[in-house]
Amino acid sequence: MTVTKPHILLLGEIRHAKAEWEALSDVATLSVCDSANREQFIKDLKGKYSDVVAVYRTFNSVAITGRFDAELLKEFSPSFKYICHNGAGYDQIDVVPCTEQGVHISNCPSTVDDATADVNMFLILGALRNFNEAMVNLRKGNWNVGVPLSNDPDGKVLGILGMGGIGRALKKRAEAFGMTVQYYNRNELSSELAAGAKYVPFDELLATSDVLSLNLPLNPKTRHIINKEAFDKMKDGIVIVNTARGAVMDEAALVDALASGKVKNVGLDVFEAEPKIHPGLVSNEKVILLPHMGTLTYETQKKMEIQVLDNIRAALTTGKLNTIVPEQAGLQ
Amino acid sequence: MTKPHVLLLGDVLHARAEWEALSDVATLSVCDSSTKEEFIKDLAGKYSDVAAVYHCHMDDAKPGANINQELLEALPPSLKFICHHGAGYDMIDVNACTRKGILVSNTPGAVDDATADVNMFLVLGALREFNLAMTNLRKGNWNAGVPLSHDPEGKVLGILGMGGIGRALKRRAQGFGMITQYHNRKPLSEEMAAGAKYVSFDELLATSDVISMNLPLNAHTRHIINKEAIAKMKDGVIIVNTARGPVIDEQALVDALESGKVRCAGLDVFEAEPKIHPGLLANEKVILLPHVGTATYETRKKMEITVINNIRSAITGAKLLNVVPEQIHFAP
Repeated sequence: MTVTKPHILLLGEIRHAKAEWEALSDVATLSVCDSANREQFIKDLKGKYSDVVAVYRTFNSVAITGRFDAELLKEFSPSFKYICHNGAGYDQIDVVPCTEQGVHISNCPSTVDDATADVNMFLILGALRNFNEAMVNLRKGNWNVGVPLSNDPDGKVLGILGMGGIGRALKKRAEAFGMTVQYYNRNELSSELAAGAKYVPFDELLATSDVLSLNLPLNPKTRHIINKEAFDKMKDGIVIVNTARGAVMDEAALVDALASGKVKNVGLDVFEAEPKIHPGLVSNEKVILLPHMGTLTYETQKKMEIQVLDNIRAALTTGKLNTIVPEQAGLQ
Repeated sequence: MTKPHVLLLGDVLHARAEWEALSDVATLSVCDSSTKEEFIKDLAGKYSDVAAVYHCHMDDAKPGANINQELLEALPPSLKFICHHGAGYDMIDVNACTRKGILVSNTPGAVDDATADVNMFLVLGALREFNLAMTNLRKGNWNAGVPLSHDPEGKVLGILGMGGIGRALKRRAQGFGMITQYHNRKPLSEEMAAGAKYVSFDELLATSDVISMNLPLNAHTRHIINKEAIAKMKDGVIIVNTARGPVIDEQALVDALESGKVRCAGLDVFEAEPKIHPGLLANEKVILLPHVGTATYETRKKMEITVINNIRSAITGAKLLNVVPEQIHFAP
């Protein structure tokens, strides 16, 4: 009697690690989701995808399936066990209902660190040095006429909110520019991991940083953690950079703080309602804005895809994910 | 005994107190000649006893902007020191100064960090093709159509000219996981090279993924990067220039960008600045800044103080602190 291989489903696209995906067929039956929308997907979960054990999902696949919330999760059959997410941020998935259903989630820590920290440092430099205004001025044919002097990163205090892999990779880069690093984190890091960065309470981070970088995950506790009250506690003329998730910062409050000069400049790779951007940001020539480019390189995209596939293989062959999300760490 | 006469050609904007403090050892004048002709008259009149000049990087049209043979013939015999505000001093004919017994200083050191910051911003911006992404966003297209790019990690950065700025760049590039090699007039001591590999010019061209121009402009280095040099480079090379525009043949660069030989470029300087080759302006991938290398409050003040210190040393000790490399053998 042959044992059927477990059924795994790809939600979204694999662009670089196609060979590695196909290679999973030694331990699994592979399907690529062709549901046109969430309604169809729910129907298919009762039909051809009803025996799916693990899902490989991409950030963009949310356009088809919608968020992985309680409503969607209850449509999966009891055989469903693993969501292997391509990305460091997994806020498109509601963790609590997954845990309640016995569904375990993996994300992509570490593979995203360098590329995201590179964007992060680019934005810090761009915001401190007012480079967007200078670049726009040049492209308009005005060279540097009217472009004011700016500030060096050397000797400035960088406050990192969220000292995970990306935050620590950022610290390494910032120190090469002469910045001093302090951080706030859910838990204080070991002195080895902190590598000389000073742990400070959240309010002190706000009050004493010259540059504030947001490097924390989005969840119900962190939504709008940077709001009007937080801005009021910051130094006058602070520079803020966000490569995490747009919704950790109240975008309208940010626009107000820029207008008042409380915030001297910002560098953003993410936005509250992306791809929609607050018009107060788009019309501001000083701010430096990227369209969520964090990990968009050939090298990093391939590394991430392979990390997801390795999680699937590990789950199917050992029953444990390699990189289960922090909230579920105790479950394996 | 009358104090020596010091003449300011340009402006002191930040270190005004330090400039005024020179009046303990010198009589200070600010050049008010409105044309080049008037300046030549004044050099035979009210400025005929000037011993040292504080020289700023000015628009070509300003009197004293270019210290060439013609101007040198009009300088009074009392003038022995020209203290230049800037690292690059290609607008001063140093050989002609030497023949007249005039020593020249510049401001190395003070410019290193700010220029290397711009330099690293451009390396990242060109490797990651961020200009296209930023432009796309501002047009309302988010990241639609923006292709994947490449990480700096593991790439070889070739530094052409390993002076203070080149070495400051190396420290930054290492934070992003780049490997550094360099070509220089002479190989550096092991300590100063700090692990960077010395290679021949041709090897630098042939084996670097990113080439950064960090050399002074002079008769030997004009168009050192030309069609022949570009042909020796790797396909898809990235070129960055924060030195002087004319070290690169701008037309040859535009041709190479069009053919794809050069994948992207990051430029803070241009051959005929403020005029920029239209082929660069029309290219949305390249990342262009209008010569903002040292345009920060902190660095401009450091530079001004360096010039003032050189003047003080010249007046009180008959020597300069930062005599230019070409004149090291002539200085006492």
